[in-house]
Amino acid sequence: MSNSKVNMDSIPEDMWEKIDNKEKESDLISRPSLTYFQDAWRRLRRNIMSMIGLVIIIILILTAIFGPFFSKYNFSDQSLKMASLPPRLELFKIDNENYIYLANGLKIYSSTSNGEIINLLNPIKQDFQKKIKVYKLNGKEIVLDFSDKPFKLLNENGNEYPFYKKVWNKNHLLGTDDLGRDLLIRIIYGARISLLIAFVATLVNFFIGVLYGGISGYAGGRVDNIMMRIVDIISTVPLMLYVILLMVVLKPGLKPIIIALGSVFWVRMARIVRGQILSLKEQEFVMAARTIGATNLRILVRHLLPNAMGPIIVSMTMMIPTAIFTEAFLSFIGLGVPAPLASWGTLCNNALGGYRSYPYQLFLPSLAICITMLAFNFLGDGLRDALDPKLRK
Amino acid sequence: MNKDKDAIIKVRNLKKYFPVKKGFLKRKVQYVKAVDDISFDIKKGETFGLVGESGCGKTTTGRTIIRLYDVTDGDVIFDGTNISNMKEKDLSSFRKRVQMIFQDPFASLNSRMTVGDIVGEPLDIHKLASGKERQERIYYLLKTVGLSKEHASRYPHEFSGGQRQRIGIARALAVDPDFIICDEPISALDVSIQAQVVNMLEDLQKELGLTYLFIAHDLSMVRHISDRIAVMYLGKIVEVAKSEELYKNPTHPYTKALLSAIPIPDPDVTHKRESVTLEGEVPSPINPPKGCTFRTRCKYAFETCKNKEPSMKNLGGDHTVACHLLDNKK
Ligand SMILES: Nc1ncnc2c1ncn2[C@@H]1O[C@H](COP(=O)(O)OP(=O)(O)OP(=O)(O)O)[C@@H](O)[C@H]1O
Ligand code: SF4
Ligand SMILES: [Mg+2]
Repeated sequence: MSNSKVNMDSIPEDMWEKIDNKEKESDLISRPSLTYFQDAWRRLRRNIMSMIGLVIIIILILTAIFGPFFSKYNFSDQSLKMASLPPRLELFKIDNENYIYLANGLKIYSSTSNGEIINLLNPIKQDFQKKIKVYKLNGKEIVLDFSDKPFKLLNENGNEYPFYKKVWNKNHLLGTDDLGRDLLIRIIYGARISLLIAFVATLVNFFIGVLYGGISGYAGGRVDNIMMRIVDIISTVPLMLYVILLMVVLKPGLKPIIIALGSVFWVRMARIVRGQILSLKEQEFVMAARTIGATNLRILVRHLLPNAMGPIIVSMTMMIPTAIFTEAFLSFIGLGVPAPLASWGTLCNNALGGYRSYPYQLFLPSLAICITMLAFNFLGDGLRDALDPKLRK
Repeated sequence: MNKDKDAIIKVRNLKKYFPVKKGFLKRKVQYVKAVDDISFDIKKGETFGLVGESGCGKTTTGRTIIRLYDVTDGDVIFDGTNISNMKEKDLSSFRKRVQMIFQDPFASLNSRMTVGDIVGEPLDIHKLASGKERQERIYYLLKTVGLSKEHASRYPHEFSGGQRQRIGIARALAVDPDFIICDEPISALDVSIQAQVVNMLEDLQKELGLTYLFIAHDLSMVRHISDRIAVMYLGKIVEVAKSEELYKNPTHPYTKALLSAIPIPDPDVTHKRESVTLEGEVPSPINPPKGCTFRTRCKYAFETCKNKEPSMKNLGGDHTVACHLLDNKK
């Protein structure tokens, strides 16, 4: 029985009814009302890479803010005895209670079986002719024979102590630097400084760039011409060179870096905003705003800038990794924040001296820089797609 | 009653040239003569149609009259006041009385504002209403254009073209204007919706006593709504007549050409009308032809047309035409 198909002719005439016009016109929209940003967020959520980026950034920020409260170390606490301990320790077994970690530089630490360093041992006797050092641990004699590689740990009878296993460093999860400062806490503090510099510099760029570009684009004509020529001149100076020169003049520190980055990067933002405003201001909704008597300020703030917000946010997100990298680079070449403050760039710089023996000291802060830059770039990419009005459905 | 027939707006020798820079270092300045010396009056309560091919300067005329563009030369006298050289800050009361409805319903609404705020912005700017009163007024305006108050909290992208155009109309009505410039308000809409919007504009005119300058690019659209029609070609007005008169007795060769392009169901009229087709391209408004600007495409063109610009001649009964053919007849 095909119920679904009704013969149109079989419907009696008087059953037809004219739809009244009102009903047709106000076809109520069933879709929930979404603002531009709700809509963008909906699309951003579908982009896995940028969500990963966003999560990493959030974790990074939370760690940078709250991380130090959970650490028993301070970023400036030095302990020369504990210098340059790596995150992974190779332990040798002396007896069931006592284990030994043999560090670079012929240093021997006593340790527990799970990797808690107890102390640096002092030799009771050393003989550089025979190339041996003798230590005493819990009444047991340990002879370090460094005549030939690999170095050997012998007991008084000349038998080797057996290699136990590799364990994580329980005192310092990511090891220590050359002055015995905890590397984890220094990287967390580095994140604080790197992110702070990046955010503040980006914010400064945002304000200068949006204001400059906005005025230039909206004023148009000769004003625009002059303002853009100035921007052209600034942008022909190689940024790095300029920043380096500025840093030399201003003496290294947190504020000078922010000033240096803030005074340079806005050029790109100004260009983007100007381009946006220039094309938006010819649109009819701006004309409409002028016919209802809106002032220039109102048009700029209520009509033009909100419509240019997408590209502005994207370029801000893209600017953050550049700022982080520039800061790291400056710190790396010694123009960064002064000791004992540490940004990721300074940490890399410090590690450079001993990178053959202690590669983790260089590797870990570099990894932090890479992850952060990637995360921001992923997020920026996703935002570009999400905020592009052409894709709006 | 007599006062109703007064001109609400008088346009005298209006010119709008756009500079275009050319050549090395952009030194050489040329001008696009988008509107070149036009004059007309619009009477209170009437609908004045303005037609012409694309690029002939209709939009520029509308936007110059409403002072979105600075006037290059000439006068615009609105209700006795010459507004052609007024500073923006002195235009406030003019802006309350003259409004515009735009061509593109997708570009004419700010997509970051709710419909309520779009319609309410004129109220804020001119401090006409605030708080609850503002809300009520917005709902009332939306109702006036056939939308409901639920629509106030929504964003423009959720509406269809016809609905968006209604929102634009509500915005224009917010300041309670006397004169509205409609710049091809229906040409971007579906044919089925065009009639709805035109009917609504006519109803509003009756209800609120509005005066319209109605811009369109083909005559069939303005025919029904307009009382009088001006035909524009390359920045100049070539013929002005009452709507009926223009259809029955088109005089300028360009008007004839425009008319013959639209089919008319009345066999009598079709029979009487000579068939004139438009050939060739519209010349560039940077270098318009000397003499009569239409002569490059006019099949009646003769020697005088090359040298002398035809002036407006009154054929009686409000029918004016600019064409040298009329000199000869006399
Ligand atoms: N801002 C501007 N700068 C330079 N030239 C312009 C500008 N606006 C318009 N023009 C030029 O002026 C002429 C008239 O344009 P206008 O938009 O008034 O035509 P129109 O009759 O409204 O056409 P359409 O039917 O396509 O809307 C065109 O040649 C156009 O290129
Ligand atoms: S003036 Fe001459 S060229 Fe111009 S429309 Fe009349 S006849 Fe044609
Ligand atoms: Mg136009």
